[in-house]
Amino acid sequence: MNCKAGLYGSLLMNTLVAFLGFPLLLVSAAISAFALGQKKSVSDKAMSVALCLLALLSAFAAFVKSDQVITFATSAPFLLGVFPLTFMLDGLSRLFLAILCLILLSIGFFSAGYLSHLKERISGGLYWISFFLFSLSMFGVVLSADAITFLVMWEIMSLSSAALVATDHTHHSVQKSALIYLGATRIASGLLCGGFLWMHSLCGSWSFSDWSFAQPQTVFPALLIFLGFCIKAGVWPFHIWLPYAHPAAPATVSAAMSGFMIKIPIYGLIRILIQGGLDSAALINLAFILGAISSFWGVLFALVQNDLKRLLAYSSIENVGLIFLSLAISLKARVANLPLVADMAMTAALFHCLNHGVIKSLLFLCVGSVDAQTHSRDLHKLGGLAKRMPWTMACFFIGSFSICSIPPLNGFASKWLIYESLFKGTLLLDAYLDRGLFLVAICLLSAVGALAIAVFVKAMGVGFLGMSRSRAAEHAQEASTAMRISQAFLAMLSVSLGVFAAIAMNQITKLVAVSNKPVILEAVNFPVPTSLLASMLVVLGLAVYLAVLQNSKVRTFKTWDCGFGPLSSKTQVSSDSFAQPLARIFRPFLRYETNSNISGSDKRHFPQEISVEVKIVSILESRVYLPSLAVISFLARGLAKLQAGSIHLYLLYVCSTLVFLLLIGAVL
Amino acid sequence: MSEFDNHLLTNCSRWILFISTVIVLPVLCLGLIRKTKARLQNRIGPPLYQPLFDVLKLLRKGETLSSTMSGVFRLSTVVVVTTTLILAWLTPWLSFKPWSPHADLFFIVYLFALSRVFSLLGSLDSGSAFGAFGASREVTLGLLVEPALMLGLVALGLYCGSSDLKVIFSYPHQLGSHSNELAFVAGTAGVWTLVGISIFLSSLIELSRMPVDDPTTHLELTMVHEAMILEASGRNLALIEFAHALRMSIYFGLAAQCFVHAAAAVWHISALSQAVLNVIGICAIAVFVGVLESLAVKLQWRKVPEFVAYVVSMSLLAAFLVAGSGAVKL
Repeated sequence: MNCKAGLYGSLLMNTLVAFLGFPLLLVSAAISAFALGQKKSVSDKAMSVALCLLALLSAFAAFVKSDQVITFATSAPFLLGVFPLTFMLDGLSRLFLAILCLILLSIGFFSAGYLSHLKERISGGLYWISFFLFSLSMFGVVLSADAITFLVMWEIMSLSSAALVATDHTHHSVQKSALIYLGATRIASGLLCGGFLWMHSLCGSWSFSDWSFAQPQTVFPALLIFLGFCIKAGVWPFHIWLPYAHPAAPATVSAAMSGFMIKIPIYGLIRILIQGGLDSAALINLAFILGAISSFWGVLFALVQNDLKRLLAYSSIENVGLIFLSLAISLKARVANLPLVADMAMTAALFHCLNHGVIKSLLFLCVGSVDAQTHSRDLHKLGGLAKRMPWTMACFFIGSFSICSIPPLNGFASKWLIYESLFKGTLLLDAYLDRGLFLVAICLLSAVGALAIAVFVKAMGVGFLGMSRSRAAEHAQEASTAMRISQAFLAMLSVSLGVFAAIAMNQITKLVAVSNKPVILEAVNFPVPTSLLASMLVVLGLAVYLAVLQNSKVRTFKTWDCGFGPLSSKTQVSSDSFAQPLARIFRPFLRYETNSNISGSDKRHFPQEISVEVKIVSILESRVYLPSLAVISFLARGLAKLQAGSIHLYLLYVCSTLVFLLLIGAVL
Repeated sequence: MSEFDNHLLTNCSRWILFISTVIVLPVLCLGLIRKTKARLQNRIGPPLYQPLFDVLKLLRKGETLSSTMSGVFRLSTVVVVTTTLILAWLTPWLSFKPWSPHADLFFIVYLFALSRVFSLLGSLDSGSAFGAFGASREVTLGLLVEPALMLGLVALGLYCGSSDLKVIFSYPHQLGSHSNELAFVAGTAGVWTLVGISIFLSSLIELSRMPVDDPTTHLELTMVHEAMILEASGRNLALIEFAHALRMSIYFGLAAQCFVHAAAAVWHISALSQAVLNVIGICAIAVFVGVLESLAVKLQWRKVPEFVAYVVSMSLLAAFLVAGSGAVKL
């Protein structure tokens, strides 16, 4: 029996090593394919199939023995210096691998069709090599068992994703975005390095399982690690790279980045800090407050965006905030010895990772379809796609409903868990301050929910309904079959994860329980009858339709125009004007200004020219980041004076350094 | 066997009573509001069930759709009506209701959001600026009112130690050991009254009635709900009007339930009189809305957030009262 288990273990290890080696082969295949000068559409298709295969195979490899914790280390040729790379596969990493595989599978389906629309903008070879490196390194980060492996994989992930953001690098804006993103990743990696080194000096080990954050002296390394993860996850106030990186990157890259990459810091938080037993109240409160602020800030700025991808990027900030918030609730409850609430909030966080991964990649892929057809993501140039791209619209609508946490979809299920854990926390916690904090969070979450509805009704209504606002939108056609399949797959997933939420939560709990330090102790009860609601919506809805609407005499005419003659697309609401009443309320945060200019000889009755301009400046960018950047570049300019290009000056430097060192040597 | 029959009979009669209430009460509410307004303006006014006649008339008429519309428009009407019916079944707005499953308060609030999202999409589908500006105002009001409603219900939930509205609205608090202490009675009555007022005021905003929106002006450009349904006609309009009226009576019913609970904390009230009081309460609120709409003027759009601030602070007060005093764990 024992021997058999050992055999299985070694077999599995070999499979896993093979699956890590397999993509390397793929990358080399990609390089050779492009070196041979294959036709681009053929190689795109081949690479898409390879991506799907990678997702399926690795899902199989990860789940073939899902009731065991498997650890393995690389052998001789694949060492890092003298250290082996160590990996661990347990329930938590399986869950995140599953999310990654689902997303990669749908991206694989989507890629070939999407890339054929962007022929001139993307050079295939670089894109595919970076994409495979990116996917692989994400697998690696989630699997790594020690800090060194983690950092190596993390760095490959950061750099390859930066290369992917810069795919369309001929545009100036894309260069700027890639640079901002790269800067953010550098700071994040620096902080992580600092935290990891500090922990190594305290615990004497690189392995995550040896690290314990329960002692008071570990607060500062924990803070460094936490901040590093915050930057990468895009939590307020470190979120500014997200709205730059996403519009610049291709839709497939955005889907992978927003769907999965920003969940990796959350995985890291759980793996390193939470499994390490973090209990510092200050840090937990910080996570709580940052999570709450970024959920509100994200959705507020999403409201005033006109670029669909920027809008989605801000919505990602909101959702990452929600996940941080639920992690903080879980930790608070655990410290207060309320295991029920802690489990509930942790399930909420993990389930929301899955849900947001599915929803956000769905939405980015749908926007990708729209972009491929209309060559625009600007809401001022869209509209009227309902009749031309009905499938894409249906999928986008499902994703939008879900992200607004509308029951019975999956976004609601995880949002409900967050609410319920806050509610139970308010009920059971002893400290008045915490109770008040939880109540305020409930209030804030409901405001965030209502704002999310505003954001996505704007995206749906202005983007897809009404009349087309540009010629390109007028002539749009439905996306190709493969692209539609990939969107429909994610949309179905979103619906079924919501309708069968109770089962999904149980499965997650069961999966995550396979671990040395389980983060969820008991399965959470989900009493909301979502499946009943779904079936009632279908049955009652059909009944209402058949009984009342089906037999009514319908006449088709034009939209009421007050008798002024035919309406044009300009008479519709625009993205800016839809958001105006809400933006006005939040003027101080958004620094929202509208300037209207009406001119003409009789401008009251017959104006000749009307123009309205909306101006939004982010406080954080204009007041904090730009000034500090200015300070840095001022200092850098001072530093540049040292490098004057004169050999005499350099000789002087060398001489004075020598004297200085000798002096120090003499003193010591 | 006979017990089972008896059970079935009670259940059947409950369903019949419930369905007839769902049909009659919304119409009656609308009729009462109109009648009160007419009497206050020295008019005789239309008969009480005129809204029912209106709906029946609309059902016989043909429907005009815009050529810009996609299928979303009609789908939205179907979803709004269906969701409102489900809400009527799940929400404890009546104290006599047939069996219903777990009615979690967060679930209920988001079901309201479901119907709101679809009505918004329906109004945007025609490409009409009227509908779209109505929708824009509706999401603004939604943002303002949702925290108030949520916090009000959460306060009650904390007070009763459960997030299930069925448990919250099931009159348990008059029992128990504290029931005679003055402070307890005053606290209970106070929390229920505060939340009742907050739900009532948020219903005025949510249902776009005065002082937030005037449903009887002739200029759709200034309105919220009427502007959103401008393109609806015939059977479609009949469904929308019915759903709106039903939503109104659900809100009024919740508020009335709160007031009945506040009364039940002070005096002992039997189950039957609670049911009667509940219905009377809904009608009284409708009459009160009629009086309010005759006396009040519509607020300037920019002043609406101030009005909402009162509602939110009412809910906040109730919630902090409960959270500060510690929940009564029944």
